[in-house]
Amino acid sequence: MSKPDHGDPDEEPIEETEERRSLEEKHPLDWEEAPDNRKAVEDRWVISDSTEKDDARKIVTGEAKYTADFAGTIPDLIEGKILRSEIAHGRVTSIDASEAEAMDGVYAVLTPWSDAVPDRPYTSAGQSYPEPSPWDMRVLRERVRYVGDPVAAIAAEDERTAIEAMRRIEVEYEEREPVLDPEAATEPEAPQIHDPADIENKQPGHDYERNIESFVAGEIGDVESAVADADDREDWTVVESEWNMGYQSHAVPEPHATIARRDEDNRLHVITSTQVPYHTRRQLAHLFDIPIRDIRVTKPRIGAGFGSKQSMMVEPIAVALSEAAGRPVKVQTTRREQFFAMRFRRPMSIRMRSVVTEEGELKALEMDALSNSGAYGPHGMTVTGCAGTKPLPLYTHTPNMRFEMTAVHTNLPVAGAMRGYGAPQGHLAVEGHMDEIADAIGMDPIDLRSRNLVQEGDLDVASGIISGGEGHVRRIRSCAIDDCIAQGREAIGWDDVEQPEEEYLHRGIGVALTAQGSGVAGDELGAAHIKMNEDGSFILQTGAVDTGPGADTAMSQIAAEVLEVGPEDVLVQPSDTDISPFDYGAYASSTTYVTGHAVKKAAADAKESLVRIAARMLDAPESTVEIADHGVRNRETGESVSLEDIGYESIYGEEEREQVMGQASHSTDESPPPYGAQFADVTVDERTGEFEVNKLVFAADCGVAINPALAEGQIEGAMHMSYEYAVSGNLEFDEDGRPLTTDFRKYGMPTTADQPPLESILVETHEPTGPFGAKSVAELPTNAVPPALSNAIYRAVGARVRDLPITAEKVAAELGAD
Amino acid sequence: MTTVGTGPRDRLRFMNITLQLNGEERTLSGDGSEPLLDVLRRHGYTGPKRGCRSGKCGFCTVSIDGSVEKACLRPLESVEGATVETIAALGTQDDLHPVQEAFIDHSALQCGFCIPGMIMRAKGLLDENPDPSRAEIRDALSDNLCRCTGYEKIVDAVEDAAGNLEPEVAADGGRSLSDLEPCGVDP
Repeated sequence: MSKPDHGDPDEEPIEETEERRSLEEKHPLDWEEAPDNRKAVEDRWVISDSTEKDDARKIVTGEAKYTADFAGTIPDLIEGKILRSEIAHGRVTSIDASEAEAMDGVYAVLTPWSDAVPDRPYTSAGQSYPEPSPWDMRVLRERVRYVGDPVAAIAAEDERTAIEAMRRIEVEYEEREPVLDPEAATEPEAPQIHDPADIENKQPGHDYERNIESFVAGEIGDVESAVADADDREDWTVVESEWNMGYQSHAVPEPHATIARRDEDNRLHVITSTQVPYHTRRQLAHLFDIPIRDIRVTKPRIGAGFGSKQSMMVEPIAVALSEAAGRPVKVQTTRREQFFAMRFRRPMSIRMRSVVTEEGELKALEMDALSNSGAYGPHGMTVTGCAGTKPLPLYTHTPNMRFEMTAVHTNLPVAGAMRGYGAPQGHLAVEGHMDEIADAIGMDPIDLRSRNLVQEGDLDVASGIISGGEGHVRRIRSCAIDDCIAQGREAIGWDDVEQPEEEYLHRGIGVALTAQGSGVAGDELGAAHIKMNEDGSFILQTGAVDTGPGADTAMSQIAAEVLEVGPEDVLVQPSDTDISPFDYGAYASSTTYVTGHAVKKAAADAKESLVRIAARMLDAPESTVEIADHGVRNRETGESVSLEDIGYESIYGEEEREQVMGQASHSTDESPPPYGAQFADVTVDERTGEFEVNKLVFAADCGVAINPALAEGQIEGAMHMSYEYAVSGNLEFDEDGRPLTTDFRKYGMPTTADQPPLESILVETHEPTGPFGAKSVAELPTNAVPPALSNAIYRAVGARVRDLPITAEKVAAELGAD
Repeated sequence: MTTVGTGPRDRLRFMNITLQLNGEERTLSGDGSEPLLDVLRRHGYTGPKRGCRSGKCGFCTVSIDGSVEKACLRPLESVEGATVETIAALGTQDDLHPVQEAFIDHSALQCGFCIPGMIMRAKGLLDENPDPSRAEIRDALSDNLCRCTGYEKIVDAVEDAAGNLEPEVAADGGRSLSDLEPCGVDP
């Protein structure tokens, strides 16, 4: 974007440039909406209803089947295990598998040099094509870059034999010096982790000699000039702060599992715990050089994903083992592997700098993020980018904004996609920093935010800060962040904080605001197909991947709303690449917003043929009939036919036969942000720094909640994860890069005993671009407990902790430093 | 007890263990030291889930001789003659146990992987303490992890189930055991 003239600092810095005018025109406020898209509460049929989750009954009876549960149904299935690198950096010089191979019951032992193991680079990212991630890894690895790199794989008749065989494999390494600190990794003398000659699909700003996977920067206005202006003025203040956060594990309940086999047509059939069946199919086709048509990926129930199952880590190994053994193979990872060899939220270090007037008007906001990708680069550029492009749009009016990001390799576990996708890191920095600004100028933190906040009707340019202002600029057509603040403030008791009787205990309440997106702007596709059965019920097929939140239920509600049937009349089939229409998969908070819209259009398509057939049966013009009471009625005569009548007539009728069906795709450049306000209420012991979180409240503007109970579930679960990120979580390593945090309890995942009470509030808005006004909700509330808690502790005792996790020791150290 | 096998498995001790499983006498075979969880799952009882295999997640929680236990921590050989109940010993989809019903009513489940274990834990609590406080519920469930819900709705569900349990149901553990089927076995 062009730089405004800073001759007179009082002058409004955003000029009405031609570029700005063109953006305004390109993203008009008005949005042409389907006539039935906006429904008053009383006109809603089944949306905004907390319909029972369609898989709830089989879950509570233990009958829901996850990948590993299929093992007993597949004859001759054998078990696979993965042998992982014990060193953080080096090269495998030899693997002696002779003893393992000689064991009874061992069917296959694979090494990086085996014929069945693909020898081409890929990325595990599970993104659209071409992926915005470097192809920098191999299925089994001769060159190892962290403790956890897969170096060999075994398939044996049972798990015990596979483990025993794994123990008998001798691996020799040539060790290299590891580098574990991201800042040190960029120094000239640091060991080089990747050879760029071995990497395809490199990402912008890479400099592998300095272990830099990607560097991207963008600016709106001119931050340096605003800082220079502040130096000359007493009424402007420059505030700086730095924020650090470590790894977080998804801690998915179901460890990643894959069953690979050849079906009776000799096609490759993969049953797997994936969020991205179609991307997995494409990636496997690429790796194994098998035509896409010969691969089928089936997603059964998933024991949650949170981004971890967007990554394709186990599938290629299971396929290679199955092809080599000539038998179906199941690979099920262990919990230990989950804590070092899967994917994680990436550590980041973020420097903030801002310029603010004494009235609290933000003149400049600068953010510099250094993130640790670990050994490989899936999602490195995009997650680190989102650390800026998710929170900065809260303050999109700020005339001067700069965001710079560097994603760096170290010899530590691989970061990937995780719920929030960079936004939790970015929000800690931005929203912690906002309180520091408020403190610096003596202003109430909510007043400071309100003065600078985004609002409905705004052109959000901050979301496009690293794409040169082109691709991701968006118009804000729904925003109730002010109501979220007001309702959250009331629920937590912001204005009436009662102090404990003990004089050493201090209570404080902190706030942090947050924004996310609804899908990847301009890079999504959801498709849906719906067909009617004779009995008037419908079968809905979408590629939407329900990983647990209840996407299938929301899809049935959206279709049922259009067809005016009960959600139980719409049966949703789980994603299967042979059966379901295409879908990019469950990530980026896209399912309800993107796939839900495809479902709405497909249902409308089916409704057209339903009405046409019914009109013929009623011998009436289409214009006089309407859907009513589980059938179609002639408005003028009152005569009606039931859906069941239509179902039978359409299929077995004497005259024309035509099955009632509908189909649609949905793709959009829009990605409207949901908004939220997080509040944390804490009591701190000034003697020890120990603190107790009394309550967490999150108020969310997610548009129209298709299923309020499920939306609340998203908020509460996300707050749990965000609370963990704030106070526990984190992974530790020894000086050689070996993982020290390898189980749930060492990791410190909150239990019922230590999770503070949670309150979720839904603040309804209508998003005209979303199906029945919906935006996303799944990631938004993952973002803001760390800054809200840091702010609350500061307000309670004046101790500012900028490093996660926030611990009593760190609070005590800050108190002592005063 | 019989010992079979050759080569690397000489030290394994394959056994046939007879027990009362979900109300029926069953014989499970496997190595004596193998976790009951793995043996159950191999025999088609896939309600208990494997989340860590080291007693830290609680996804495999079952009832053994009336006490709530993690099936991954009990070796097969220790359940000879025992009475074991998995989630399949509770209600069916059409005739849910009150605890199962309460989990549905409160939307206290998402991915569901922890739920069979969590419900067994909750039922065990209510068998012992039919009217627990919220704090007692939180304390009792703390051996069982859940990643999706933030626990709030689970605690609500258990609190509600306590109010809905008829005393005799709480005492005898639910519906008649004679008409139960093992779950997860495909024809």
